[in-house]
Amino acid sequence: MFERKPIVAELTTPKAQLLLIALFVLGVFVLTFVTGCGNADETSSGSASTDAPAQGEDLTGMLTVEGSDTMVNIAQAWAEKFMDENPGVMITIKGGGSGAGIAALINDTVDFALSSRDVKDSEFEEGEAHGVDIVENVTSYDGIAVIVNPASGMTGISLDDLGKVYRGEITNWSEVGGNDLDIVLIGRDSASGTFAFFHDEVVGADNDYSPSMRNIKTNMGIVSEVTGNPGAVGYVGMGYVTDDTVTLEIDGVYGTVDHVLDGSYPLSRRMLMLSNGQPAGIAKAFFDWIEGPAGQQIVADEGFVPVN
Amino acid sequence: MSGSKRKEVITFSDYDSRGARRVEAIVRTFTMIVTIAMMTLVLFLLAYLFVRGVGSINWQFLSDIPRDRMTGGGIWPAIAGTLWLIALVSAFALPIGIATGIYLAEIAKPSRPVRVLRVAIANMAGVPSVVYGLFGFAAFSLALGFGKSLLAMGLTLACVTLPVVITATEEALKQIPNEQRQAAMALGCTRARTLGKVILPTALPGILTGAILGLSRAAGETAPILFTGVAFFAPVATDVMQPSMALPYHLYIMATQPTTPAPHIVWGTALVLTGMLSITNAAIATWRSAKRRKLQW
Repeated sequence: MFERKPIVAELTTPKAQLLLIALFVLGVFVLTFVTGCGNADETSSGSASTDAPAQGEDLTGMLTVEGSDTMVNIAQAWAEKFMDENPGVMITIKGGGSGAGIAALINDTVDFALSSRDVKDSEFEEGEAHGVDIVENVTSYDGIAVIVNPASGMTGISLDDLGKVYRGEITNWSEVGGNDLDIVLIGRDSASGTFAFFHDEVVGADNDYSPSMRNIKTNMGIVSEVTGNPGAVGYVGMGYVTDDTVTLEIDGVYGTVDHVLDGSYPLSRRMLMLSNGQPAGIAKAFFDWIEGPAGQQIVADEGFVPVN
Repeated sequence: MSGSKRKEVITFSDYDSRGARRVEAIVRTFTMIVTIAMMTLVLFLLAYLFVRGVGSINWQFLSDIPRDRMTGGGIWPAIAGTLWLIALVSAFALPIGIATGIYLAEIAKPSRPVRVLRVAIANMAGVPSVVYGLFGFAAFSLALGFGKSLLAMGLTLACVTLPVVITATEEALKQIPNEQRQAAMALGCTRARTLGKVILPTALPGILTGAILGLSRAAGETAPILFTGVAFFAPVATDVMQPSMALPYHLYIMATQPTTPAPHIVWGTALVLTGMLSITNAAIATWRSAKRRKLQW
């Protein structure tokens, strides 16, 4: 057996060199072609989103929207209908969470960030440092309903006591005026914006949820769990409430659309679309459409509270 | 083991020989059971997918955009996105990967840099795909300014695929008996000609199998595209600077995100993704075995 020799020597022949050069050129060609035409298009779509004509004319261009997982479904519904009416517009929606959306806006890689919580001061400051002026555009409101199984005998609770319940300091409904029944805590998973909102507003930013709380991935899952479990308490977006559970008054205020709108219901939040400066061009057209009757109808259909 | 030459050296007593046969029978039965169990598992998985998913497959499902808050319509933008990604990964990973494989197997002399290169490639194959995602986001989306786009996703997936393609190419070339090279050169071929006319055509089925396996892996990956441009919802992309939907990510979000569960879309998406990859793999396997029969030595 003799060794296989490397063929480097033979690569000095003209034909082999030609082959190598051809391979190299092909690679370079593919790279430049793809990036080149891509870059050209990026500038055109970028300018389209700022220079696009106002409403009433044919809208063309591209919008990218990223953020709250609570809002991606409603954003998809808006985008679908808006694109049906304006075939020249392409809207891309990405989830990841409110924080991810705000980070993307600060990096200026999106036109709108979806946020189901208020923007933190630190985020405003970071935006300024990146030359991004974060503007809060309110699309709708959401009320968090606290639901219990009818067997608990509860109809209302104070925000304070609710905090104690979710911190695990109160473990029986009889301690807060209900029947003698052990409390079963149900909550969302930690990736949920609702989980974070409820934590900050009810449990308290410096405290933890009771370790006995069962984390459930969806709003609908919470409703069915509370329906089937006599001691259970859970929290969901108002739109998910069914007749099989009892919705608790919080500090004497029942979670209705009116009470969310006038701010008297403590567990309500704004559903925001954040932009860099006031929306312009097709971004403005899209947001104006969301505020209009068609967009607000989708808000109601999705179980959120319309802005007016 | 039972060859006559062996018997002259080692003599089994009757007892030992019976014991050895028993062990052999046990091992044979065991491996057979494991094989059958594995095949049953795979078949069960495919059959289950098919039964759950086939009901959702119709023309609208394959050709429409998602509608009604992701509970209706179709998955065409996700299919198109995955096809886009396969095309981009092919364009980036195949030329570079195959060229590198040829270099390592046929051209490179054993030296320190080449050893380092091999270690680097082996390490590339071991990097978790989510780390590729982070790398792609930093390198392609931010540093090179491609943003959240098909291009950034394609380049990231190409990095995931490269080690598979390189290794497959190298192995396919190494499997070719040296006698073929010697015979070609004995007939007066230069080494370059030997490579182009004899070695590459013979190795092509092996190389392509590796390439397709690499592309399949890329098409099924979620983590690398998570950071670099995959969208919850997007129309069919018309150029590579746009974000896009993709089948594996669509499967993930449909199973975890929607306010109203739509299981038929989840199963349908899973079936379409698996079907696309299985059909491609089966086609390449058939082609390869046909080619193999022609190229026997």
